[in-house]
Amino acid sequence: MSEFVQRKICEGVTFGSITDDRFKIGRLSATLLVPLSRQTAAANALLACVLTRSCKKYPDFTSLSRKLDSLYGASLYPSVRQMGDCQALTIAVSGLDDNYTLNKEAVSAELADLLSSIIFEPNVNDGLFSEEDIEQERRQLIESIDSEYNDKRYYAIKRCIENMCSEELYSIGRFGSREEVEALTNADVYSAWKRLLSQARVELTMLGSASTEKAYEGFVKYFGDKPRTTEKPEHTDVVPEKVKYVSEDQELSQSKLVMGFRCNYDNDDRAALENSLMSAVLGGTPTSKLFLNVREKQSLCYYCVSRVDNNKGVLLIDSGVETENIEKTKNAVLEQLELLKKGDISDEELVNAKLAVKNSLMSSLDSLAALQDYYIGGVLRKNQLTPAKAAELTDGISKERIIELANKVQLDTVFTLKGN
Amino acid sequence: MEFTKITNKRMNEEYYRMKHRSGLEIIVYPKKGFNSTYASIGTKFGSVYSKFMFNGREVTVPDGTAHYLEHKLFESEDGDAFSKYAKVGASANAFTSFDMTCYLFSCTDNFRESLEILLDLVQSPYFTDETVAKEQGIISQEIKMYDDSPDWRVMMNLLTGLYHNHPINKDIAGSVETIAKITPQILYECYNSYYNLNNMVLAVVGAADPYEVLKIADEKLKTCERVDTRVIFPDEPYKTVKSYTEQILPVGVPQFELGFKENSTDKYATNKELICTSIMLSAFVGTGSELYRRLLDEKLINSSFGNEYLEGLGYRSVIFSGESADPKAAAEMICDAVGKLHKNGISHEDFDNARKSVYGIFASGFDRKQSIASELINGHFTGREIFEPAEIIANVTLNDINERLEHQLDVDNCCLSVIKSE
Repeated sequence: MSEFVQRKICEGVTFGSITDDRFKIGRLSATLLVPLSRQTAAANALLACVLTRSCKKYPDFTSLSRKLDSLYGASLYPSVRQMGDCQALTIAVSGLDDNYTLNKEAVSAELADLLSSIIFEPNVNDGLFSEEDIEQERRQLIESIDSEYNDKRYYAIKRCIENMCSEELYSIGRFGSREEVEALTNADVYSAWKRLLSQARVELTMLGSASTEKAYEGFVKYFGDKPRTTEKPEHTDVVPEKVKYVSEDQELSQSKLVMGFRCNYDNDDRAALENSLMSAVLGGTPTSKLFLNVREKQSLCYYCVSRVDNNKGVLLIDSGVETENIEKTKNAVLEQLELLKKGDISDEELVNAKLAVKNSLMSSLDSLAALQDYYIGGVLRKNQLTPAKAAELTDGISKERIIELANKVQLDTVFTLKGN
Repeated sequence: MEFTKITNKRMNEEYYRMKHRSGLEIIVYPKKGFNSTYASIGTKFGSVYSKFMFNGREVTVPDGTAHYLEHKLFESEDGDAFSKYAKVGASANAFTSFDMTCYLFSCTDNFRESLEILLDLVQSPYFTDETVAKEQGIISQEIKMYDDSPDWRVMMNLLTGLYHNHPINKDIAGSVETIAKITPQILYECYNSYYNLNNMVLAVVGAADPYEVLKIADEKLKTCERVDTRVIFPDEPYKTVKSYTEQILPVGVPQFELGFKENSTDKYATNKELICTSIMLSAFVGTGSELYRRLLDEKLINSSFGNEYLEGLGYRSVIFSGESADPKAAAEMICDAVGKLHKNGISHEDFDNARKSVYGIFASGFDRKQSIASELINGHFTGREIFEPAEIIANVTLNDINERLEHQLDVDNCCLSVIKSE
């Protein structure tokens, strides 16, 4: 397996690749990053869906799907996510390595061509996408937004963030709102395409055994001569003045408790690693403070987990509990956080958390999907570390640093979804 | 004792297996160039094993016992396994399904120590009134989490609509009421009946050497005498219980599962049967099919739509699932298309595309340690060799698919399960 090699295609466009012959599936992706904005979030999200539905060469959903089937079940899918105050649209294709096809067909070159076609040669006529594609994908995107309500854990976390960051771009959400999606016109989506092609920061990745040269050259041809102006959002630290309490009721068997905290923000990969380790000590592993005390000692819940978004400086702790235990659980969580802030952390707790973080980093080297996620997930930070380098640096993080970072964790919002 | 080596040229893969003198089946699947290792030990004891004969005596256990036992096996007299794993840096977990329970870890360092912990874990049960009671609160919350999950409820309601007597119609974790009846004695009885190494399999995948695994097994495994344990399944009629079932939950989009029940048999499906079903389903309702397109055009499905073949001892069903603004209309369109499918069969072109697609998806499984381990364990329990599908897909004919289809998708024997809001 090679290192992750990054080549600049032009200002704002990077091509990163790993050559690795251990796998049967090769992966390509293009991620377009733009600052989240009320005006464009919904159009960008719908665009990602429309682009992956058809293209000039395969002008409708069925012909494109059949092409993918014939390429040994290759997959092509959009994913729209929020990374800090940015919106990231990833279009990913993956498919069988040429060495493993039944009749030695060459799949990989076709996949690279397909990804370019999807992004640069969509099914557009006279400045508009196909009306059918727009309407189908609009309906499905609205259903995706509506169905976020089906998953109670996801929904509660989303509501906590919306309340906590109501004055910030972060609350816009990956898809924008249902109403915004409903109001979009075909021309809005077309403008989003034009705008993204000239203004988004673009991260391309290619992982697998196939030669990267042809794909790289292809992207140079498409991107090379176009002038780009990329923007990035400014981070502002928010200091919570008073804890916000927000509650909703639903007919449920279990209540959800989500606690949103502000934590350290530092746009450097190493600082992010340190923050992740702090979160692991607090509630990221089965030997963390939250797991051992809130779940195992007090039997209050099945899960009580802490996770940090290093692109934003937000830490969330969530749990599913009996309604009558919400207060008790909240206090138990705060008690554990307080202990950590005071420096109550044994050598064993720290070592265990380090081992867990290192294990997860090193394991990612055995999966191209995990590596793709790792590199895309870190693109907004400076001095991006390889998983191996990050694992090595984990050992050197001091207890003092963990305590220092824990002391930056401040409760901002408590959201409860109350069941019966 | 020697390992048997199994290889496959098409996939360029190989693994080693042996029946260890302790009774345990050991399978080691080295992945060249990998940093990490995934190990899983499974016993053929899941939620459907709620009634069985043990040493000539009939035993019935409360629903949710297999899952409860899984939780409690993590604790032994000298502490809990999670903290032992944490000390050596392995990430550990366990799960209980309808027909098996597996304990697993993944590590990049300290493989020997991690495997020792795993082998100790399954050989040192320790259940007291106190430790069993402590788990009630935790598992009750796990159950309630699932009670609020439309994904889970829509499936369990479907199985209740399809199966009259087979315990597949019971929740894997049981209910808050049934788990309250679980005692240390019941857990020991299940342990003694099913956690016998002759009933278990160890799969190790990744940066592993077969002889290193064998050495650790030699040191750690206590030889087990075979026990006389036999699961009892009640008779299950061919007909479904009902054709429609619904539950009200707070959801933004209704969810549905449409299941087609098949003849129950006391045998597992063969690799060939599974492959034929996968190819048929891909051709019939994959994203490139006419049916998928019509369902989209009529706004009846979205990208969450999918299908699976659920099968085990005494149950076999094809299940279509997804979110839909109008589940009944979606089900009707699928049933109409099934009627035409039986009349016309699958076309040559659809077959060819579907076969390639199934082949690619099959091959992709060998990229993931976890998926290989799970196939190895499942394959051991069901008698299905894991490379065999490569050859079957390469040689299968359209005729095979259409013949298999004759025994599947009976439109007069299906049930629609719906979760919607008020």
